[in-house]
Amino acid sequence: MKIPSRNRLLLACVGVMLSALPALAHHSFAAEYDSKELVTVSGVITKVEWTNPHIYFYIDAKDASGAIVNWAVEGYPPNTLKRTGFTRDDLKVGETVTITAYKAKDSSSRLAGREVTFPDGSKKFAGPAGGAAPPTDAK
Amino acid sequence: MTTFSVRCFAITACSVSLTLAATIPRTADGRPNLSGVWQGGGVSLYGEPGAGTRPAPPPPVNPPPKREPIPYQGWAEAKSKTFTATDDPTLRCLLAGVPRITSMPMPFEIIQTPKEVVIAYESFHAFRIIPINDKLQHPNDLVPTWMGDSVARWDGDTLVVDVTGFNDKTWLSGTGSFHTEDLHVVERFQLNSDDTITYTATVTDPKVLTKPWITGALLRRPPNTRVEEYECIENNQDVPHMAK
Repeated sequence: MKIPSRNRLLLACVGVMLSALPALAHHSFAAEYDSKELVTVSGVITKVEWTNPHIYFYIDAKDASGAIVNWAVEGYPPNTLKRTGFTRDDLKVGETVTITAYKAKDSSSRLAGREVTFPDGSKKFAGPAGGAAPPTDAK
Repeated sequence: MTTFSVRCFAITACSVSLTLAATIPRTADGRPNLSGVWQGGGVSLYGEPGAGTRPAPPPPVNPPPKREPIPYQGWAEAKSKTFTATDDPTLRCLLAGVPRITSMPMPFEIIQTPKEVVIAYESFHAFRIIPINDKLQHPNDLVPTWMGDSVARWDGDTLVVDVTGFNDKTWLSGTGSFHTEDLHVVERFQLNSDDTITYTATVTDPKVLTKPWITGALLRRPPNTRVEEYECIENNQDVPHMAK
């Protein structure tokens, strides 16, 4: 197949970027979360752990039966979030947020956070897209 | 091609090469100046994949080698497949080793002097103090370690780092990429005119590989970034979660 030179450049660029796109800093996304189980959860933030190797925040949300479930949401490391414009002050206990997140493979109430929608409607990424993780070199 | 056009091509190629050589920053002793903060990948460097949060950088002038599968011997290939992500040393916040540390999605700073090069990594608080030593002579009292022992020399404008003295507890790359204490890594750092570093690592370990494994990364300067604290073990909940 003949690829126009401009497209070849683009492909080379994309190739380099893909090879350099690790997911989480120190563990495999796929080993813990299901990239096919992207869910949307709305709830009140009950606790924030702005910690390494990954942040956690916890939200109370009602399940289908109306019972409150406290979800633990894992995100990028603090330094990564800060550098992408997601600061510690963005997550406030008591505020209601809507998140998209990937469910844990063990069916527990843990989630890998993806996009957070804040009360003012703004959105920021808390963690990686599950499908973006390279298959083996996710470190 | 006529003689004239060959000469034109040669002159053009030569002038391009001279231009490239002339446009990299240099230290007072004339070496390429590698000092500064660099990063091999991650969203803080490239933005979210497909989200358009950051414009894609231009293609590099000197791309790193394409990453090939590790050329394991048959028995070693079979053994590597017995590991899972739960066995990953970095899951427990242990040092990532070389060359894997270079591709971590976190920045590191190179501090270069005429006598030594120091690399301070954010990931796992790793550091390497690398003497410039034209004979690439390692100390004779080495005990195997996670990051090995590094010495360097200049090969023209390329910094060549020779690393040996590894333990057998790190992984080279992805899941199961084990090695033995015979691991030997030769790294090459080439500063380019587009303010990138082409990083190449040649990995040998005759006990498990059939031939040298060549890997690499393109290092860019992450904007407005300094190396900061990363106390990985602080709230590492992933070990018990993954062990379930």
